[in-house]
Amino acid sequence: MVITVLSMLERRPQPSRAMLILAPLIAVVLSVLVSSVLLLILKKPLGTTLYAFFIEPFESFYSISEIFLKFGPLLLIAQALAVGFRAKVWNIGAEGQMIIGAIAASAVPVYFVDNSSFWLLPAMMVLGALGGMFWAGIAAFLKTRFNANEILVTLMLSSVALQLLYFLLLGPWKDPMGFNFPQTVMFQDAALFEPLFSGVRLNSSIFIPLLFTVGIWLLMEKTFGGFKLVVGGLAPQAAAYAGFSAKRSVWISLLIAGFAAGLAGMSEVAGPIGQLQRSVTSGYGYAGIIVAYLGGLNPIGIVFAAFFLSVLHIGGDIALVTASLPISAVHVFQGLLLIFYLSVHTFVNYRFKSPRTAEQSHRT
Amino acid sequence: MKRFISQTLIAAAIAGCMVATGNAQDDPLEIGVLLPSPIADVGWSHALNEGINAVKKKYGDEVKVNTIENIQEGPDADRIINKMVGDGNDFLLLGSFGFMNAGLRLAQRNPDLSFIHASGYKTADNFSPFTAKYYEGAYLMGMAAAELTTTKKLGVVGAFAIPELISTINGFALGARSIDPDITVDVVWINSWFDPAKAQDAAKALIAGGSDVLFSNAQDTPSVVTVAEEAGAYVFNLNSSMKEYAPTRYLGVVKTDWAPFFVASVDAHIAGNFEGKNEWLGMTDDVVVVEDWSSDISADMAAQIEATQADIVSGARHVYDGPLTNQAGEEMVPAGERLEDGAILGIDWHVQGVNTPLPQ
Repeated sequence: MVITVLSMLERRPQPSRAMLILAPLIAVVLSVLVSSVLLLILKKPLGTTLYAFFIEPFESFYSISEIFLKFGPLLLIAQALAVGFRAKVWNIGAEGQMIIGAIAASAVPVYFVDNSSFWLLPAMMVLGALGGMFWAGIAAFLKTRFNANEILVTLMLSSVALQLLYFLLLGPWKDPMGFNFPQTVMFQDAALFEPLFSGVRLNSSIFIPLLFTVGIWLLMEKTFGGFKLVVGGLAPQAAAYAGFSAKRSVWISLLIAGFAAGLAGMSEVAGPIGQLQRSVTSGYGYAGIIVAYLGGLNPIGIVFAAFFLSVLHIGGDIALVTASLPISAVHVFQGLLLIFYLSVHTFVNYRFKSPRTAEQSHRT
Repeated sequence: MKRFISQTLIAAAIAGCMVATGNAQDDPLEIGVLLPSPIADVGWSHALNEGINAVKKKYGDEVKVNTIENIQEGPDADRIINKMVGDGNDFLLLGSFGFMNAGLRLAQRNPDLSFIHASGYKTADNFSPFTAKYYEGAYLMGMAAAELTTTKKLGVVGAFAIPELISTINGFALGARSIDPDITVDVVWINSWFDPAKAQDAAKALIAGGSDVLFSNAQDTPSVVTVAEEAGAYVFNLNSSMKEYAPTRYLGVVKTDWAPFFVASVDAHIAGNFEGKNEWLGMTDDVVVVEDWSSDISADMAAQIEATQADIVSGARHVYDGPLTNQAGEEMVPAGERLEDGAILGIDWHVQGVNTPLPQ
């Protein structure tokens, strides 16, 4: 079945611009149709639910700010992961790199509880980035030195990172006034990003992913270095022949991802969370992978993908409350959208064979 | 539309007032309930939901309960709580420790709303944390376990090493050792409220290590209970009865009946005299209830347990009466004294007889 469908497709000479724009719209329509059935079975109001998902996130200033709060770390991580994916370096451990970044950054307010220096936040940013890079660097070292599979190493290092987090929260970094609960002290204001507007959680850390995006776009689209990176991963031998190093691709890809994930972790503890606690990542490390692919591994595509996923997420949270949808139904709806989007996205690069070309391919 | 704008700092307070005045007329009181796990047939969220059902039963159409289940702690939960407040819920029940900081922030911004919050320790004028004195029930379970164990080893599968759970394990150990001082207790911390696979592995490891009575400490599924039944070990758990999962080996349940407290809190909110304070509730308050006792417990022991229970309820006896020593053998509470409430609420040491050191 799959093969017959695939044999009906042919690669477009050029990716279709029209399909690129239509794909998300078609995906929305298809998933709305399928989930309408689901909602009917659940006896939930269709209109209210769709309204909650797609309109309500834009209706209040607070919701819009929450979209961007979600957008920041997703964008940051997805941009960095896409660099690696284009170079065929499969880092799926951004979650762990994010945790280590959050831990490293938290060392500052944990050990300098009463300090209100201006340099607190910059120090946390540096430590967060270095922490993430160190964690990703382990995978890079094992890959380049022993050819250890980076998929396994990065994934397992995420579990190690989580255990390290638990260890610190239950032991040395536990809030002395926190009744033994697994969390650090609440950070002082100097260790927190300034909210952009009063009453919202969106803060100045949003500029980090935006600047990072510009940087990645310049690197990948405009420089020879970006080209070498991609070739090094794509065709190691060709790259070696041309004098580009495949090892360098691995190192650079992983270090960039560690840098970004570490900063994302730092932005969470120094932003909406305000302390180090058990759940610091909100799953951004894994969601970043989806965003990277939804965006076609393209820096600009990823901006839209991250925004789209953020809206979907905020809409889901709203639907829980206003449409009293169970959270599993929210997940199903979000999953449907992604699956339909990825399916429809195939038609950006492929199209159904026209009768004539089909005939030709039969003859040959 | 007003509610959407309301979520900015100042407007939220205004909206809160508007909704509050609206209540004086015909609108039902909206109660927002946020639960960390699925309500299901048993467990923590189930017990909380039963308590809320009592509120519904009492007030009928005068209240409207909006329940959201299975929400993980973290920044996303903060947003959902915010939305619940913005949507006009005037009384909020936050069912997990991790909802504390977000809940407290909203409570301070919306003085007309009332919050009750499970397992926390921070308070505000309109924000009450509530916790059950599980250790009272666990003490009685320990006494029963002491009679039924042959290996003199008891095992605990624990979620997080926080005071609530530590104090409960201590209660279990103290109860058992009050009958037989040779008994020891092993603990496995799995760092999760809700991880059936891990809980089962831990239970199997404890049984392999010789424990023949298990305590499923704050596990939200019957994971440990079913493993114990299969392996022939006795087992008890907290919050709601799981007897049907261990029909022959069920020691009993330390149940929490939140109904009296929830109803009283909603009463207070409606009367306008809700007062934020640390609500620490036990057998005396009819919140901690032990039942579904195993029929293998002898009549003698049952009588002894009943007498002890009566003493705890009357206050003649307290689980944390001295002399108490810690794991290292140091005296923590001298004979004739009683560990004060604050020290139990923040306890970070195990009593003698618990083998496993606390995670440090």
